[in-house]
Amino acid sequence: MRCVRCLLRLQSLGVRGPSGRPGPQYAALLQPASSPPQGQVLRHFHGSPACAKRPVPADFFDEGEGKKDKSLVTHDDLFERVARDAKTKATFNKVLDVFTKKDIRRRGHVEFIYAALKKMPEFGVERDLAVYNKLLDVFPKEVFVPRNFIQRMFNHYPRQQECGVQVLEQMENYGIMPNVETKVLLVQIFGEKSHPMRKYQRIMYWFPKFKHLNPFPVPLQLPEDPVDLARLSLTRIADDLDAKVTVYQMPSTDITEAGEEITLPHIVGIQSPDQIELLAKHNPSRPVFVEGPFPLWLRKTCVYYYILRADPAPLEEKTEEPYDPERCFDYPLQLNLELSRDLGDDESFDVDDLDEGPVFAMCMTGRGDQATLNQWISGLQQNNPILGQIPTLFRLDAGPRELQSVADSDPGHGYRTGPQSEAQDGAEPSPEAEPDIIVEEEPRRSQGMKQ
Amino acid sequence: MSLLRMVRLPPVKPQQLLLPSAPPVCAARRTVIQGEYRRPGQPKDDTPAWMKIKFDFSKGVEGIKKHFMLLRREFLDRWVGPEGKPIIEHMLEQNRLIWEFRGPESLEEWTVSSDREIGGQSEVYLKLGRNSNTCFLYGTLCSTPPKDGETRYSGYCSMRSKQQLASFDRKKHFDWSSFNTLHLRIRGDGRPWMINIAAETYFSHQKDDVYSYFLYTRGGPYWQEVKIPFSKFFLTHRGRIQDNQHPLWLDKVNTIGFTLGDKADGPFQLEIDYVGVCKDYAHTEDFAYEVYKRNPEV
Repeated sequence: MRCVRCLLRLQSLGVRGPSGRPGPQYAALLQPASSPPQGQVLRHFHGSPACAKRPVPADFFDEGEGKKDKSLVTHDDLFERVARDAKTKATFNKVLDVFTKKDIRRRGHVEFIYAALKKMPEFGVERDLAVYNKLLDVFPKEVFVPRNFIQRMFNHYPRQQECGVQVLEQMENYGIMPNVETKVLLVQIFGEKSHPMRKYQRIMYWFPKFKHLNPFPVPLQLPEDPVDLARLSLTRIADDLDAKVTVYQMPSTDITEAGEEITLPHIVGIQSPDQIELLAKHNPSRPVFVEGPFPLWLRKTCVYYYILRADPAPLEEKTEEPYDPERCFDYPLQLNLELSRDLGDDESFDVDDLDEGPVFAMCMTGRGDQATLNQWISGLQQNNPILGQIPTLFRLDAGPRELQSVADSDPGHGYRTGPQSEAQDGAEPSPEAEPDIIVEEEPRRSQGMKQ
Repeated sequence: MSLLRMVRLPPVKPQQLLLPSAPPVCAARRTVIQGEYRRPGQPKDDTPAWMKIKFDFSKGVEGIKKHFMLLRREFLDRWVGPEGKPIIEHMLEQNRLIWEFRGPESLEEWTVSSDREIGGQSEVYLKLGRNSNTCFLYGTLCSTPPKDGETRYSGYCSMRSKQQLASFDRKKHFDWSSFNTLHLRIRGDGRPWMINIAAETYFSHQKDDVYSYFLYTRGGPYWQEVKIPFSKFFLTHRGRIQDNQHPLWLDKVNTIGFTLGDKADGPFQLEIDYVGVCKDYAHTEDFAYEVYKRNPEV
């Protein structure tokens, strides 16, 4: 009885035209088979001016209409059907268009948005602000805005608000900062003081505060080229502006006379003048070690590096070298001023110094086997002739296999060394790996090792 | 009509249907009623509290020995000065070493945890470094959420210092009120970590309040000295930044923790040499965030 009365009243409102706010929607409800032009007009009422509507291809319309009869349709299904061939931003937007055009009342939009949020990483649009705004546009406008203080006091349309918060939370998790368009949409959908609006305000308050906090920033787009990537990461970990990056070998693929294909990995090393100086002072009777691979994370990418280091010198070998006062005439290199302000003015921590030995050089390579690293050491000899007299030990861990999949295209060459194997014979080449490259470096290295 | 339908429903504990065990999405304020974390689907633990206590004679004997030793030290330390140090040393103290890792017994003061307890697959281990005078935290991170239908995020590994206890298992707190900067010497692998400081709170609903800040690591073979002013720490509660911020009160600090959760699946490592606090005279800031109005404004 009451329902019928309401419907009758609504119909009269609908006849009166767009002056009554809820009128047109329910008018459409009462005339389900009404003419399409009217539906077009009503759609404008729901849509926001922010996102202009584009025409939707007819075949998607048909699919949507055909599915309508079934009682239980998951919205994943819609995504799966559309994205059978390609999962791109265009198809994702198409699905959103299909949904918004399909039903004037946007029935089941909460489930649809949850499904879309879950599908976003698959389509590669999880970092796209425009897509998030389009997704928020799926919510019907002005329906969930509380209209009096009682509605505002209680949680008005909690499921829809939670869904809106979820959209914003996914943006937050991917580090996407919303813009004014998002705000306009949220105000239109949920009103000024709703939970999604609060979430938006929180994001806008905290994101700029933490945006440039990292003192060692990593670019969003890492370079594709492994040599460039190695250069970037080596300058990052070297922490010395004077350090010089040297590319010892560019990646290349050769075909020998026998018809074998040989892939040469890239070898990029870094060494600073201080490190050269340290290495020159190193006692040649004590060995140096090539160690690695050690991981370095640049956002979601892991690269591996190798270091050349030595054990700390024993106490009797340590000598304090006084500064040469004639090294620099412009200003003194050493100052002994009494600057202490108070009795307990001791700013240093009372800890034993960790002496782990000096690091002489670092390198990154596409393949972490001993032969490749040997080439690096040979390349280092140009600047550090003392390396020819110092025995070099290789302490290579059974490296992580991701190294090869990331940086090296050839998976056939595994690590020769086993887990924690200490290869004493640093000069022994691996004849099956790179015979033609090692050969010319070989005499120098073996000379060095025999001492 | 709708009321009638409600009444005719079979009594299936409607509250359980409506309220999931996970907290609601839009919570930036503390909820007052909180329980311990319970995995979805796990039955409630109904054993009475007295059954969990171990009534053991040997435990009692050991306890008496331990606690009276602690009590004796507490009494005798008073005669020397505050915290067992002469007063002149206490007054002139510029920095204090809180934790350093020299030997296996120093690892006893720390606990590690990962998302194993919520059903995840991350692994975390703690051991001494190569020269056994550093602490080496390593493991693998895996951010696949557990398939229990409710948990949406996963993937964290953390290391937290144990609560200090005085005699008779009373809580003992760190008093860092004369310092203003946290000083660490670390070596990481380029991943960002989070430092969490838990201070003593008054009300029980604040027990999960934690003050956090970020710890960025450079990576590489070199050690890194990090100084973080305590004024930068912001208030979080169960992983959510709070609207009402408050500076960290340093007179009763309970624990400090390091958490990794950067969603990059794979191995990680963090080496810590020492954790200390120091006084930085150049730093005068009280609190880095607005406290005179709410964020966002109401």
